[in-house]
Amino acid sequence: MAILEAKNLSKRFGKFQAVDDVSLSLKEGEILGLLGPNGAGKTTTIQMLLGILTPTAGEVFYFGKSLSDYREEILEQVNFSSTYTNLPWDLTVRECLSFVSYLYDIDDRQGRIKKIADLFRLDQILGKNIMDLSAGQITRVNVAKSFINFPKVLLLDEPTASLDPDVADYIRKFLLEDRQKFNTSIIFTSHNMAEVEEVCDRVIFINHGRIVADDTPENLANTIQTSHVQLLSLKNLEAIAGYCTKLNLDHKLEGKRITITIREKQIAGLLQDLSGQNLSYEEISIEKPTLEDFFLEQSKKGSLR
Amino acid sequence: MRLHRIWGVVLRYNYLFKHSLDRQVDAFYWPTVDLVLWGVTSSYIASQGGSVNQLLLMVVSGIVLWTILYRGQYEFTVNILEEVWNKNLINMFVSPLKLSEWVAAFSLLGLSKAIVSSGFAALMALFLYKAHIFAHGFLLLPFLFLLLMTGWCVGLVVGGLILRYGTRVQIFAWGMVSIIAPFSAVYYPLSALPNWAQKVAVIIPSSYVFEGSREVITSGILDWHKVIIALSLNVFYLALATAFFKSSFKKVLDRGLVKFK
Repeated sequence: MAILEAKNLSKRFGKFQAVDDVSLSLKEGEILGLLGPNGAGKTTTIQMLLGILTPTAGEVFYFGKSLSDYREEILEQVNFSSTYTNLPWDLTVRECLSFVSYLYDIDDRQGRIKKIADLFRLDQILGKNIMDLSAGQITRVNVAKSFINFPKVLLLDEPTASLDPDVADYIRKFLLEDRQKFNTSIIFTSHNMAEVEEVCDRVIFINHGRIVADDTPENLANTIQTSHVQLLSLKNLEAIAGYCTKLNLDHKLEGKRITITIREKQIAGLLQDLSGQNLSYEEISIEKPTLEDFFLEQSKKGSLR
Repeated sequence: MRLHRIWGVVLRYNYLFKHSLDRQVDAFYWPTVDLVLWGVTSSYIASQGGSVNQLLLMVVSGIVLWTILYRGQYEFTVNILEEVWNKNLINMFVSPLKLSEWVAAFSLLGLSKAIVSSGFAALMALFLYKAHIFAHGFLLLPFLFLLLMTGWCVGLVVGGLILRYGTRVQIFAWGMVSIIAPFSAVYYPLSALPNWAQKVAVIIPSSYVFEGSREVITSGILDWHKVIIALSLNVFYLALATAFFKSSFKKVLDRGLVKFK
C-alpha cells in the first residue's frame, strides 16, 4: 500500500497554472526525489502534500486516509524541513526544539531533544540563539527538528543546501540509515544530482507543473543517448577541436583537455578517426550519461515550450 | 484541542518575551510612563479646582484597565506578526497544531500578560498616588474579564487583517485598538462625549465596562445591567471576529504559507 498518495493535484494562482494534474505515490521505506527547474511546481506540490496550501483540485492521502479529513492524526506522523524556511530568530536552539516538541505527542520530550542534539551534533550550539548560527548550522537544526516526532513520512526540501560537504554527507548517510532502521518514507528535493542519485530510489521530474518523468535515477539517465568523452592532449588540442568543429560535434575546451559530447554508439568511430588523422592524446575518460544530463535535457525542453 | 500543543505555542511566545527587550518594555515601561504623565497632569488639573481624588482615580483606573484590553489584543496581533517576520508559520502548521489551538494559546497569553501588566500598573498606581483601584477587588472581576474579551475581539480582527494583507498593515497591531478608545470613555464619563459619539459608544462593549468600573471603584456598586449588555455585545463580536479570522486563515492557505509575508 502506498503510504502517501496524491491524486490529480492541481493548483492555479489566478491565470497561472502552478501544478497541473499531478498524481504521485510514495511506498513505505522509499526515498523519492522530486526534481525540476526553479518554478517547476516542486514547492507548490510539497506545500499541498503538507496541507499548507489548498489545492484547486485533487486530494492527498496518507496511510489511506484523506489529509483534509484526518489532518491532525496524519501530521502527527509526518514532518518537513526546508533550507528556505526560517526558524524563530530570537530563540535558542534548545528553546526552538522544546516548543516544537510540544506540538507533537511525544512521551519523553527532554530525552528526545537530547537524542536529536546528539544525532545531529547540536550539543555545542543548544544554548545559542538561532540568529547567531551559521547558515549550515541553521540547516542542521532545521533537519534535526524534522526528526523530533519519529516521522514515518518526511518531506525534505533541499536538506543539504548550504552544508559543508562532510556534514551533507553525514546527513545523507543518516537518512539512509534512518530509512533502513525505521522504514521511513522520504520525499527529497535537491539541485545536487549526484546526491539524488546516491539517495533516491525513484525520481519524479516536474516541469511546468506537470510530471514529465517517473523512474529510477539510472533508468532516467539511460534515456540520454549522449556521453562525454574527455581527452587530455598536450600537442594536438587545437587540431582535435578543429576536427570536432568540422564534424559538427559539441565540444568544450578546458586547459589541456577537450570534452566532446557525442552519442554513445559514435564513440568508437570518433576515436578511430582521430587515430587515422594522427591526432594523438595522452589520456581518455568516458563519462556515461548521468541524472544531471537528464535534468539539463528536460529543463532545456521545458524552456523551449 | 490538545493541551500540550497549546502549551507548545505558549512556550514559543514566552521564550520570545524572555529574549525581547521590546516586549518587556511594552509590558511594563509604557503603562508606567502613562501613569506618571497622566497621573501628574490630572493631579495638577484637579488642584486648580475640583476633587483631586476623584479625577486622579478616574484617570489612573482608566490607564490600568485599558492595559487589560490592550494586552488582550496585543498577544494576538504582535505574536502573529512575529511569525510573519520570522517566517515561522510553516513550522507551526506542518505540525498537527490546529487553528483553534493557536487562538486558544493567544487568549491564554493575553489573559496571563493582562494580569501581569495590569497588576504591575495597579501597584504603581498605589505606590505613586495611593490609588486603590482594586479596593473593591472581586466586584471588578466581571469587568476585567469583559475587557479581556474585547481585547480578544480586536486581536482576532487585526490578526485576520494581518493574515489577509501581511506586513503592509502591521501598524494595526499597535494602533487599531486606539480607534475604540475615545468611544470607550476610558478617562472620562460617557456624558463628556458629544452626542454622535455617545450613539457610537452604545455598540462598544468597553464603554459599558469603563463606566461600570468607575462606579465600582468610586462607590463599590456593581451594575449587572452594564455587565450583561457588555457581555452580549462581546459574545456577538467575538463570534464575528472568529469567523473573520478563520476565513482569513483559509485565504492564507489558498495562497500557501510559503508565499505568506
